[in-house]
Amino acid sequence: MENIQMLLKQGAVGKPCAPVVAVGDKVKKGTLIATPTGLGVNVHSSVYGEVVEILEDRIVIKPDEEQPDEYVKIPKGSNLEMIKEAGVLGQGGAGFPTFIKIYNGKDDKPVLDHGYILVNASECEPGLAHNIQQIDEDPARLLRGIHYIMEIAGADKGIIAIKKKHRETILKLDALLKDDPAIERHLLPDIYPMGEERAVVRECLGIELEPDKLPSAANAVVINSETVYSCVSAIEDQKPLIDKNLTVRGMIKGGSEAHVFENVPVGTSVQALIERAGGFDERGYGEIIMGGAFTGKATTLDAPITKATGAILVTRPFRDLHGAKTGILVCACGGNLERMEDLVAKYNGTVAHVCYCKQAAEMPNGTRKCERPGNCPGQVKNNLEFKKAGCEYIIIGNCSDCSNTVMASGPKMGLKVIHMTDLAMMAVGHPLYRTLKVSKKVDQDLDVVDNVEDNETVQ
Amino acid sequence: MSITAETAKQHANDPAVLCCRAEAGTELTPANFEDPAIFPDLVDSGLLNLDGALKLGQVLNGSKLTKTVDSLTPITADIVDKFDAAEGAEEAAPAAEEVVEAAPAVAAAPVAAAPAAGGYISLHIGEGKNIDIQIPAGIGGGVAAAPAAAVAAPAVAAAAPAAAAEEEGEAVVVREMTRKHYKIDKVVLGDETKIEGTTLYIREAAAQEGADGQKLVHSLTLDVITPDNYHTYTETVMDIQPIATKEDDYELGEGVTRVLDGVVMMVTGITEEGIQVGEFGSSEGYIDENMMWNRPGAVDKGEIIIRAHAVIDNKKNMERPGPIAIHTAVDHVTQEIRNAMKKDLTDEQVVDTQVLKQVRRPGKKKIVIVKEIMGQGAMHDNFLFPTEPVGVLGAKPNVDLGNVPVAANPLEVMDGCIHALTCIGPASKEMSRHYWREPLVYEAIHDDDVDLVGVIFVGSPQANTDKFYVSRRLGQMVESMNVDGAFVTTEGFGNNHVDFTSHIEQIGKRGVPVVGFSFCAVQGALVTGNKYCDAMVDNNKSMSGIENEVLACNTLCHEDAIRGLAMLKAKMAGETIKAPERKYTHAVKESNVELIEKAYGTKMELVDNEQALPMSEKRKAKYD
Repeated sequence: MENIQMLLKQGAVGKPCAPVVAVGDKVKKGTLIATPTGLGVNVHSSVYGEVVEILEDRIVIKPDEEQPDEYVKIPKGSNLEMIKEAGVLGQGGAGFPTFIKIYNGKDDKPVLDHGYILVNASECEPGLAHNIQQIDEDPARLLRGIHYIMEIAGADKGIIAIKKKHRETILKLDALLKDDPAIERHLLPDIYPMGEERAVVRECLGIELEPDKLPSAANAVVINSETVYSCVSAIEDQKPLIDKNLTVRGMIKGGSEAHVFENVPVGTSVQALIERAGGFDERGYGEIIMGGAFTGKATTLDAPITKATGAILVTRPFRDLHGAKTGILVCACGGNLERMEDLVAKYNGTVAHVCYCKQAAEMPNGTRKCERPGNCPGQVKNNLEFKKAGCEYIIIGNCSDCSNTVMASGPKMGLKVIHMTDLAMMAVGHPLYRTLKVSKKVDQDLDVVDNVEDNETVQ
Repeated sequence: MSITAETAKQHANDPAVLCCRAEAGTELTPANFEDPAIFPDLVDSGLLNLDGALKLGQVLNGSKLTKTVDSLTPITADIVDKFDAAEGAEEAAPAAEEVVEAAPAVAAAPVAAAPAAGGYISLHIGEGKNIDIQIPAGIGGGVAAAPAAAVAAPAVAAAAPAAAAEEEGEAVVVREMTRKHYKIDKVVLGDETKIEGTTLYIREAAAQEGADGQKLVHSLTLDVITPDNYHTYTETVMDIQPIATKEDDYELGEGVTRVLDGVVMMVTGITEEGIQVGEFGSSEGYIDENMMWNRPGAVDKGEIIIRAHAVIDNKKNMERPGPIAIHTAVDHVTQEIRNAMKKDLTDEQVVDTQVLKQVRRPGKKKIVIVKEIMGQGAMHDNFLFPTEPVGVLGAKPNVDLGNVPVAANPLEVMDGCIHALTCIGPASKEMSRHYWREPLVYEAIHDDDVDLVGVIFVGSPQANTDKFYVSRRLGQMVESMNVDGAFVTTEGFGNNHVDFTSHIEQIGKRGVPVVGFSFCAVQGALVTGNKYCDAMVDNNKSMSGIENEVLACNTLCHEDAIRGLAMLKAKMAGETIKAPERKYTHAVKESNVELIEKAYGTKMELVDNEQALPMSEKRKAKYD
């Protein structure tokens, strides 16, 4: 078994933790090995083994041959204390510490005033399957978790936001929700980015938040479904967050189906996961993405997964643009400029012009957030600019609606449109993001058929 | 791009076109619509057909889509449940008599109504005779809103008599200076610099001395080009300079200036490898084919040209120290001539005397001229306020001053306070001589309807952040001047249009009407725009609307100044400036000239363009 690498910074946000073990220490599953120095969560060993190296950014553990199922339990305490002690963080992407999100940190006053817990079960990034599978396998556990969190956060109501296409899972939820009036579900259309935090608030509550506002401004907390399960594990099983579920998919031997792995030890390498899925497809691959196709980043085989990692996607090989002039349209839904430039380089294009989607508002920390996620502000002006700059190709990372708008004028102007997710979408057998034919609204009655999937299919 | 309610209102009479896909049942709001400012481009490229499109004003009153339609679909009667009747289009466009059109195409600036914040609220009733009502707005703290009736006396320190002039006062001469002209009809290179009669002798060795003083200058050579030799090949012309000097210890803009008539200094330069010291093209070639004679900045036909030609280090042609070294070396020669002028010339030799007066006209509309000068570094720099007219000594480069706005009085401008180092496109470059004869300053100071308060020079820095830094300072400076109108001029095109339009915005948003001057035409269309850029004078003279590398061809001339003044007066009176046609056409200028001739009862003589020159091989190959 390969060495396990526990990063001291497990989420995209926050500060690295400080190790509390030394080289040579024996550790068990669940042994506390690092504690926060600022914004962050406890890190526990995900295996039995020995600390063999402590680097600036990680603790390396050599696992024992024997890996019993038992783990070191976190001490009993209040539900909130146990979530904190277990090192639970948001598994929807950024990895924000959950105990901070659901508690105001000062007094006994809850963070919400009779508000809402919005459970993000949209599994927004295309091609992923582990969230819905988890709910499908044990929906009752999800509901228990929602109640725990509602109680801590001071919510009267829980809403599970889930895409309408997951009919079987929704039926299972509905059967339980009949007897649980505090929780309801809200059906989402199958378009990107339904899982964006403020999109969830808008869809469920009808409140459009400014880009710099948190869901608390709408008296709500948005929490990823897998995070809810982790809270249940902390509270009911005294289990720290040491393993997680994820989807491995793409140019993998045996086909494009999703490989869902459950309870994967945090710190496992990308390589080990790809091997476990069957190894690379012999036709080769373009890049390996850690995370979803829209918001993930290119990664390497030796990189370890963190508590916040949801997917490993292996894309189709890049085609060669032979240095063609390429425009970059940066928006808040897809990659940032750096990521897009990286992609243009991998395609062997030459960046000739950069535009920003009108709604990609820049935040004080330099990141961008969409002003109205999923609702396009128009793109033809950008296309005119690309054309003027002599671009042959443009690469976009836009949502379903904006991609549709780009397509309404781009190709007619002679711009060849590449979506940043194309190679991943081809690899997972998902329609490319181009034109939008489905409605952005779905009927909340599960039996009303309102979405006809006729998006462009994979070539 | 989706539009705001305000934009939708401005474009109520423009076609309604969806910016994005919208589903059946959607109640239409401004956010559903594309900005009409870009429609012409879309129509041109075949992306949009506006036949049968309803107007924005017709479909924003609760109209709902009856069909799901895609981005860039015009709203037609068959896809909405209801729409309002079209409003009378005639009423919307009053047939005003003295409306002057804006010239250049502003790519994306939606035409906006006069800003209501600060300044005046202007009501315009354009029925038959024009009635303009101006109400002091008195809103917007800090915004200068001088009541129209009582204009305070101009506060010019040097002008004690001005205090007496109240209200509709007499024109006040704030200061004056004298230009004494001396005729030169022969220039001889020799062993001594002196003036004997009408012959100028220049010590030839002075040139190499000038070069020796500059590390980067390998050689500086002089030669004399007389009118019969205008068909002489020359490297790119970096500058045309008057040869002038101050009498006694007078500073620029005061006392007496001596100037030589019939002769000018011409600076040219290349690197050792033979690369021209220029950026966007260069004017190298035969002088008679590449010099737009008699432009304010150019050589007048018939003048003797003293050519000072420098060869500098390789690669220094695009770095600031290169051009600075050339100009400094040349000034070593010119200064020797100036010294001879001080020593040798007597009043008996004066052939003409001009008294230049700075006149203020209390009670008239106060205006300021803002001249954007290049300050991006490299060869884009200007020496400000030298001791001698268009000298080097005592001057400060505007790049070193941080390109911040600097105030000058009109006489300082006409007395050579700008030594221009700029080497942008030859056709739109303002040479040092241009400032010496600046037509806009000349016309403004002679216009009885306006009160020119002064001239501001503001540099055009390289970085965008710096551009906005200086234009914010400019806006504040103009606000504090309490003016009724402003001109903003620029030279070149492209990069500098970013700050040019920002200057206009900073002034415009303070409620001060602005008219801009720039070469735009076909090649130099503004790269940015804002709603205050609705009154523009295009300096283009070239037939094809391009930077044709003919020196000074597309610079600001008297005819442009007159058009600009007419436009600013119209704007200050609250008239609407009609948007230009989308594609550049000479017709805009022609119809404006016609309007002005009709209104003023005068005939405007328009200058020649490059078509009056012998065709050069370069022009034949590249341009015409």
